[in-house]
Amino acid sequence: MSNLFSGFKSSLYKNYGENPGKMLVHTGVLGWILSSLAQVSAVVFNDKISPEQKSFLIPQEIADAGINIASFYLITSSFKNIASKLVSTGKLTTKGIKNALSKDDVKKIGKLDFNIGNLNNVPDSYKPFKNGVDVVASTIGSIISCNIVTPILRNQYASKKQKQALANMHNNYELAAPRGISMSQYQKLSSIKYSSSSSLKV
Amino acid sequence: MASNMKIKTSSPQFQGGIKSACNSVKQRALSAVPNLELSGNINWINKAGEKISSAEQRLILGASALMTQPFIDANNKKVDEKTRKVSVARTIAKIVAGTATGFIIRKACIKGIKAMSQPRGANVPKWKSLFTPKNITKTNTDAFMQYRNAMGTIVALVVMMFTNFLIDAPLTKFLTNTLIKKQENK
Repeated sequence: MSNLFSGFKSSLYKNYGENPGKMLVHTGVLGWILSSLAQVSAVVFNDKISPEQKSFLIPQEIADAGINIASFYLITSSFKNIASKLVSTGKLTTKGIKNALSKDDVKKIGKLDFNIGNLNNVPDSYKPFKNGVDVVASTIGSIISCNIVTPILRNQYASKKQKQALANMHNNYELAAPRGISMSQYQKLSSIKYSSSSSLKV
Repeated sequence: MASNMKIKTSSPQFQGGIKSACNSVKQRALSAVPNLELSGNINWINKAGEKISSAEQRLILGASALMTQPFIDANNKKVDEKTRKVSVARTIAKIVAGTATGFIIRKACIKGIKAMSQPRGANVPKWKSLFTPKNITKTNTDAFMQYRNAMGTIVALVVMMFTNFLIDAPLTKFLTNTLIKKQENK
């Protein structure tokens, strides 16, 4: 047990110590899963919300959870990965970092396989800059995913679900066409019924 | 024929071809991005990496959520007006409750982990180094500070498994009902 905990601490240090942006993405996903579970139950057990509104809010919460987790991971990690690649290949850099690179390395800037972090003499200012860009990018990504993409998508989904739920609740089925009677029989029956009315046209 | 195709797609040559095609696309995309060399005061970027932990990120997310989400819900014309109002009230309540508890618990856990991840030594009580990884002698490195943030956040997530039900959900319910009442009294 002690070894397991020790291994957990070491792996956390190794994985996230050098990569705060990755930590923000992973813990963010876990956080959304846990808070979504609580929020769904909060609507389910709130007596003051009417069944009609619950029919909207429960799917809204479920959609919110699913879309939030998916979009948070996809958008936030994409933002982080793109920003990370731009910094590691030198596309996005600072004067200090560029000046610290050798002439040969400067020529490699923008090449996909070039990684400043793997050089023998990594400039001192590189890591803090890369971590900063990672964190800023994942924060921007999470704002876009959680506060713009998710609410728009979840409302679309939830309003569709509400319409279905309300239709079921009020037995609001569409009127089915009469069956078991042919058009000629129908015309015959109606002519008998409305025989006094000459204005009836079937 | 189909099995032949399968063998071909899993062959190293095929896999290599796919990989090189992907890399070529990635390289083109990367080349399309202009080189950007930042000058002047870029200290704020370095500080962001140092100071923004999951707690601060939660606070930033909550503040920006208050500026966008109620507005999006209020303009959702696909639901009736009453539902729209409840939806706005619930969104505001959820953001306020989630941000407040999320920020406080994350911050407290990160602080707690900081206190319990001191370097091991003769005069340091065992509980003060409970969360210190092996072979750590310096605690002022950037990597170690990020480790403390990560460990604090993970502990906070465990704590929030309970507080989400015990604090978040009832607080959201209370705030939603208060906001709905206010709307009805208008």
